[in-house]
Amino acid sequence: MRILVAEDLYLLRDGMVRLIEACGHEVVATAATGPETLDALRAFRPDVSVVDVRMPPNQQDEGLRAALAARQELPGLPILILSQHVEQLYARELLADGSGGVGYLLKESVFDADQFVDALERVAAGGTALDPAVIAKLLATGSPRRGLERVTDREYEVLALMAEGLSNQAIGRRLFLSESAVGKYTTSMFGKLGITDDEDTNRRVRAVLAYLNSTTSP
Amino acid sequence: MRLLGAWVSGFGRSCAVAAVCLAVPGVWAAAVAWGIWWGATNPWSWSAPVLLVVAGTIGLARPVCQAARRLVARWSGTTIPGGYRRAVPVTRLSTGYWWNGFSYERTRRDALMDQRWRLRWRDPANLRDLRFVAVAPLTAGLVAALPPGGLAVAVLGSASAQTSVRVAGAVGALVLLAAAPWAWRLLEPVAVRFLRPSPAMALADRVEELTVQRADVTVAQAAEIRRIERDLHDGAQARLVALGLSLATAQRLMDRDPEAARALMREAQAGATASLAELRELIRGISPPVLSERGLLDAVRALALDSPLEVSVRAEGALELDAPIESALYFAVAELLTNAAKHARATHARITIRRDATALRVEVEDDGRGGAAVRSGGGLDGLRRRLAVFDGTMEVTSPPGGPTVAIMMVPCESW
Repeated sequence: MRILVAEDLYLLRDGMVRLIEACGHEVVATAATGPETLDALRAFRPDVSVVDVRMPPNQQDEGLRAALAARQELPGLPILILSQHVEQLYARELLADGSGGVGYLLKESVFDADQFVDALERVAAGGTALDPAVIAKLLATGSPRRGLERVTDREYEVLALMAEGLSNQAIGRRLFLSESAVGKYTTSMFGKLGITDDEDTNRRVRAVLAYLNSTTSP
Repeated sequence: MRLLGAWVSGFGRSCAVAAVCLAVPGVWAAAVAWGIWWGATNPWSWSAPVLLVVAGTIGLARPVCQAARRLVARWSGTTIPGGYRRAVPVTRLSTGYWWNGFSYERTRRDALMDQRWRLRWRDPANLRDLRFVAVAPLTAGLVAALPPGGLAVAVLGSASAQTSVRVAGAVGALVLLAAAPWAWRLLEPVAVRFLRPSPAMALADRVEELTVQRADVTVAQAAEIRRIERDLHDGAQARLVALGLSLATAQRLMDRDPEAARALMREAQAGATASLAELRELIRGISPPVLSERGLLDAVRALALDSPLEVSVRAEGALELDAPIESALYFAVAELLTNAAKHARATHARITIRRDATALRVEVEDDGRGGAAVRSGGGLDGLRRRLAVFDGTMEVTSPPGGPTVAIMMVPCESW
C-alpha cells in the first residue's frame, strides 16, 4: 500500500515510518503541519493516510480539519486518525459523510504492529477502525438504544464490535459464535435498521452510522 | 381611619427625622447658649463651648449617619452601604509581629489598639459623614421639622389671648395638618445622594475583594499543582521506573530464557499503555485537549456526548473567549452535568450558551429532583469562586423536586 504519514513530532513520525516499512508497505510522503497534510493528500491520494489530530501551525485540530477537507473533495479517501485522546465528537464528524474508509485510534494502538497494520488495511479497503475507547463511550452515552428498541442484546453486541471495524469472523471469535451465526445476526439487524442489500462494507459502515444517529446528538 | 393612621405615622416619622438630622445643630445651639450664659463678651468663656461643638460634631457624625441609614432602610427598603473600613482578624506572622490589616505591631494589644484607632478615625468615610451632617439639617431636617414646629406654634397660639398670635397658631396648625404625611420623605433622596460610598471608598472595597480572591486563587492553584505532582509521582513516574526495570531484566534474560524475556516485554508494553491512559486522564483534568483544539462550544458538545444524560446544547453568538475563562466555564459545566447525573438523578439536561454585547451567559438546566444548594466549601461554592476571579457570577435555583437551573454570567468586553 502507498501510505502518507502526517505527524508533527519527529520521533513519532520516524518511528511510524519505520514500522510501516518494516511491515512491507511504502510510505509515499510525510507531512508535519496541517496545510502540508492537505497538500500531500491532494497530490498523492495515498491508499491510506495516518494523520495526527493536533498539528502546527496553531496546535489545534489542524490534522483533523485537513482530513475532513480532503475527504470532502475526494469522498471516501481512506484516512486513519491517530490521536493522544479520543472524542466521540471527532468520531461522529469523521463518520458523518457515510462513505467509509475511516479509522480513529489512540496512538498506543501502534504498540501492536499486527493489529495496527490490520486496521490500516481495513481502512484502505473502505471499512472502519474505531478505537474500543470510542465504542465504550458510545455505549455509555445517554439512552443509546433509542430507535433501536427492536435490536436484541446479542445484535447490539455484534453492532458495537462492527463499529470497531471487526469482520464477522473476528466478531465470532470475540463472542464465541460461529461466523454463520454472526452473519445471521448482522442480516437481521440490517433489516431492522432499514439497510438494504448492497455492497457489504458499505452496509457495515451504514449500520454503524445508524447506530451513532440513534444515540444522542447535541 | 386609614387616613388618620397615615397622618399619625407620618407625624412620628417626621419627628424622628428631625431629631436625627437636627442633633448636631442642637449641640451647636446648646454650645452657643452655654457661651452666652457664661458671658458673651468674655472670649475665654467661649473656649469650652467651642470644644463641645468640635467634639460633638465629630463624635456624632457617624451615629447620625447610621441612624439615617437605618431609618431609610426600615421605611423604604433602600439599603445604603456604609462603606466603612472593616476590621480584619489580627494575626501573628512568622516573624512574631502582629498584622492588623494596616501595620505591624510588636504586641497583640498594640495591634488591636492601632486597628481600632484607624478604623474609627482614619477612615475616609468620616469626611463624607461630616458632609452629610452639614447638608441634612438644611434639607431633610428643615422640612421634617415643619410638623413638630407647626404643632408647637399651634399649641402656643391656642394658649395666647392676642389675635395675631392666635392667627399664627392657626397657620401653625394648618402647616402641621398639611405637612405631617410627607415631611419625612425628603430623607431618602438626601441620604441616597450623600451617604453612599464615595468612588475612593468603592475602590478600597474593590481592592479588598480582589485581595481575598487572589488569596483564594493562590491557595487553589497551589493545591492543584500539588495534586498534579502527586499524580505524576505515584503514577507515570513510578510506571516508567517499572518499565525500565522490566526492560533491563528482559535484556539480561534474552539469551538465557527468551520466553521469560518475551513475557517481560509484553508486561512492559502493558505498563506503557496503562501509564498512557493515566497521563491522558491527568491531562483531561488539567486542560482537556478538545478545549484547546476546538474551543468552548465544541468542548461542551463533547461533554454532552460523553455524559450519561441526554443533553442538548444550544449556542448563540460568536464565542471568542480567553483561555482561562473557557477553562473555568468548561469545568463548571462538567461539574454541573456530573451533579445532575449523580445527585439529582436527572435524565435530560439542556445547556444554553449565549453571548451578547456585555456578557456571556451559560445556562445548565436538568430535570432532576432538585434540592441543590451552594454550601460554603462545597462544589458549587468552588465553581462560584472560580468564576468570581473573572467577575463572573453563578445563580442556582433548585427547589425540592426540581428542576435545577444554574445560570453563569461572565462579563465580556464588547467588540
